[in-house]
Amino acid sequence: MFKDLDPILHSQLRLATMSLLISVKEAEFTFIKEQTNATAGNLSVQIQKLKDAGYIEVIKEFKDNYPNTTCKITPKGVRAFEDYVKSLQAYLHITKK
Amino acid sequence: MEEEKLLTGEESLQLITGMINKAKNSFHDSGTSMLLWGSCVSVAAMVTYLQLEFNFSIGFNIWLIILFAVIPQVFITMRENRRRKVVGYDGYAINVVWSTYAFTICGLIIYESIVPSAFQHIIQNEGWQLTKHYLDQSRPDEVLEPFTLSITSIYILIYAFPTIIMGRIRNYRPMITGAIITYVLFVASCFTTTKYDMIFSCIAAIACWLIPGLILRKKYLKQKANV
Repeated sequence: MFKDLDPILHSQLRLATMSLLISVKEAEFTFIKEQTNATAGNLSVQIQKLKDAGYIEVIKEFKDNYPNTTCKITPKGVRAFEDYVKSLQAYLHITKK
Repeated sequence: MEEEKLLTGEESLQLITGMINKAKNSFHDSGTSMLLWGSCVSVAAMVTYLQLEFNFSIGFNIWLIILFAVIPQVFITMRENRRRKVVGYDGYAINVVWSTYAFTICGLIIYESIVPSAFQHIIQNEGWQLTKHYLDQSRPDEVLEPFTLSITSIYILIYAFPTIIMGRIRNYRPMITGAIITYVLFVASCFTTTKYDMIFSCIAAIACWLIPGLILRKKYLKQKANV
């Protein structure tokens, strides 16, 4: 039933991360971790998958002498997210009928 | 949150809505900067009024507190940037507007300090001066150094305002470059007469809008042809 949905986005944590990033210009790793209640290890893996798909950009830098990771959605990510929502709406529309 | 849990359609939509709402509710402005500038400018203006109204002097220029307010503002901005874990689109746009506003105020301070002396220099080169002549000749003529408005310079400064805001928000380099060129032209125009200010005004309009507009138009026509 979900064969048309993007498998990269159709997972709970990756979808939550993308939903956060679509609403903001950029967000730190710690912010995403707090909002999704995910563990650091799990979130790192999912962020890497989104990065490999070209959906997000990951910027690693130092902030107050500590390493800091910032994520921002890419234009490809925005398009993928929009397509995902459209497919989802179409699916829900069909099932309601 | 689980790693690979497959979601139903309803669950996915709920998750998206929930996360978007969480992101929206995560922006909080402390209001410290507004309190700082609101109090500084209102106090300076009121003290100036009282000095003029009741003809007394406090012994120093009260507007210097504005310069001193820049120091805590720098620390406030640095602290807020350190604490900020997320930058929203509206927050970024607001920052761009305020930083451009601050830049414009600096431009006006430059204008205020350059224009009177530049005007005196120009008229001296032309071989004349403004004098106060007493008709009854009770006192000798006095040389006047009034603040002469160079309105075209202010127009040029204002041209850059929306240009740099739009350029930075849309990350459109031609407009950012155009605005920077316009700021340089603004400073140059403070030293010149209206005749030359018009040339600077012409270059500013070309740099701010004509060239970026032509580039945008070219892209638009290309996209239209591809559809």
